[in-house]
Amino acid sequence: MPATKDVIINFIKENFVMGRSDTVIDPSMSLIESGIMDSTGVLELVEFLESTFSIKIEDEELVPENLETIDNIIAFLNKKGVA
Amino acid sequence: MAALVQHYLEETAQRFPDKIALCHGAIKATYQEIDSSANRLAHLLREKGLKPGERVLLVMENSLDSVRAYYAILKAGGVSVEVPDRSTRAEVAYFLENSGARICLLSKASAARLTGIAAPVIIGPDIAFEHPGGEYVSWKTSEVMPDDAPAAQIDENSLAAIVYTSGSTGKSKGVMLTHKNLCTNTAAIVTYLGLTENDRAMAILPFHYVYGKTLLNTHFATGGSMVINNRFAFPNAVIDEMVKKECTLFAGVPSTFAILLNRSIFAKTEIPSLRIVTQAGGAMAPALRGRLLECIRNATLYVMYGATEASARLSYLPPERLKDKLGSIGIPIPGVEITVRDDSGTVLPPHTSGNICAAGPNIMQGYWQDREETDKALKPWGLVTGDLGYKDGEGFIFLTGRKKEMLKVGGERISPKEIEDAIIASRLVHEAAVIGRPDELLSEVPEAFIVPIDAKTFQIEPLIAYIREELSPQKQPRRWNIVGSLPKKSSGKIDKEALKK
Repeated sequence: MPATKDVIINFIKENFVMGRSDTVIDPSMSLIESGIMDSTGVLELVEFLESTFSIKIEDEELVPENLETIDNIIAFLNKKGVA
Repeated sequence: MAALVQHYLEETAQRFPDKIALCHGAIKATYQEIDSSANRLAHLLREKGLKPGERVLLVMENSLDSVRAYYAILKAGGVSVEVPDRSTRAEVAYFLENSGARICLLSKASAARLTGIAAPVIIGPDIAFEHPGGEYVSWKTSEVMPDDAPAAQIDENSLAAIVYTSGSTGKSKGVMLTHKNLCTNTAAIVTYLGLTENDRAMAILPFHYVYGKTLLNTHFATGGSMVINNRFAFPNAVIDEMVKKECTLFAGVPSTFAILLNRSIFAKTEIPSLRIVTQAGGAMAPALRGRLLECIRNATLYVMYGATEASARLSYLPPERLKDKLGSIGIPIPGVEITVRDDSGTVLPPHTSGNICAAGPNIMQGYWQDREETDKALKPWGLVTGDLGYKDGEGFIFLTGRKKEMLKVGGERISPKEIEDAIIASRLVHEAAVIGRPDELLSEVPEAFIVPIDAKTFQIEPLIAYIREELSPQKQPRRWNIVGSLPKKSSGKIDKEALKK
């Protein structure tokens, strides 16, 4: 099974940076400030995380600390019990 | 009422020189600071040869710098052509060519994406920017310019802005707005919302969008203040900031409220300072409106209607009539007359649906260098909005539909033809049709039906990659259907109604 980080990076690449395949996603880079995701993008990502990892993400958890960067997302998933 | 848009800033800077006009994250600026720095930039624009009436392209996200730039262009006598900050190179090339702008203002973020654009003069961040064949000027250059306002060489009938909006012919059309258009609309909005110097708006809507720009114009007119937050991707952080900064006004389009109500802490959070919530940019589902009314507690909801061609605002629903006029876009704002007419221009009686038309001092001068489209939109009785609707016995307006085909994605009008043209330009597709697919968040999103040129070897990825380079995100189809053929009418035209089924 691919690592969690790769699953997320693949999802973001396929859905938000297609056509810019040369785009390097630095795990510590802001996905918002870099223009990769907008407000609907974040919601698409949340839906993807919920269905892929069978977790429920509460409205209160939709904050930059949990979703701003790949690193933040990984840390958040760990907190939610996703290895 | 001010005669020129920049007078609002200048008069307020005299009245409240040290008042914080604008907050953006940790950045704060007083009215005096914004006015003086706009003056300095205006002198720089003049030094770069800006003539009265000359268009200046502004490609920047909302920021202190974008606000300064907007007023600097006006102070220098120029015409502000503010376009979406995420515009692609191809889109910027079109805006430059169509508007004839010679000078282009960029932010750090847009400069990073727009290397190679063909503007003779680019004013941008203090970075190394490759601009062969043109002049690149750092924003910093303006710092040594004089603090006083350059002498105005324009009057209220001079153009202040050209705002691009999607046209039925595919390419964007430039709506020409004068200082008088914008000032009269600003004054009317201040009046019906009852805005004062104590108001503070949370601005998440971009200023290139007329609804966003009205927030800036009205709050600077009254001496209120603005909080800029470009990170609505995290609505909870926006809500927190509204609480902390004690915002009194929040403005959104239907998709904004769908996100707030469906995926944020908005419903559970009390924002004690909030007194006005405005909604425009398309019809909001009644169920959503009902929930919004419950959640905003003591704040007042203003449902409004407008058009880029009307400087923004045309009508509003007085809040006390929200319940008994459910679904109405209200009554005309002060100074505006709205009529319902048939195609020949005859006024129709109440409860009869027809073309929604509007007259008033806020109606545009026409489309920039497009006589044909101007003649279609501006009739002796005013602007033909392209929306259909009726008035009830009391004169409240109800919309029943809008000009066929045009999509409204997150409040922005998008022409399917522009998307179809781009798909066809990929040379991978034989025929394409784009329709609007209802969407809970954006009210509508583009959906494409395509017939590949070579079905056997066709792959969707290269086409999507191509479109992402050509079109900004809201114009990119969210769903792609690869089909063998498209349904046609007897005339041979693609039958889009059949596609919707």
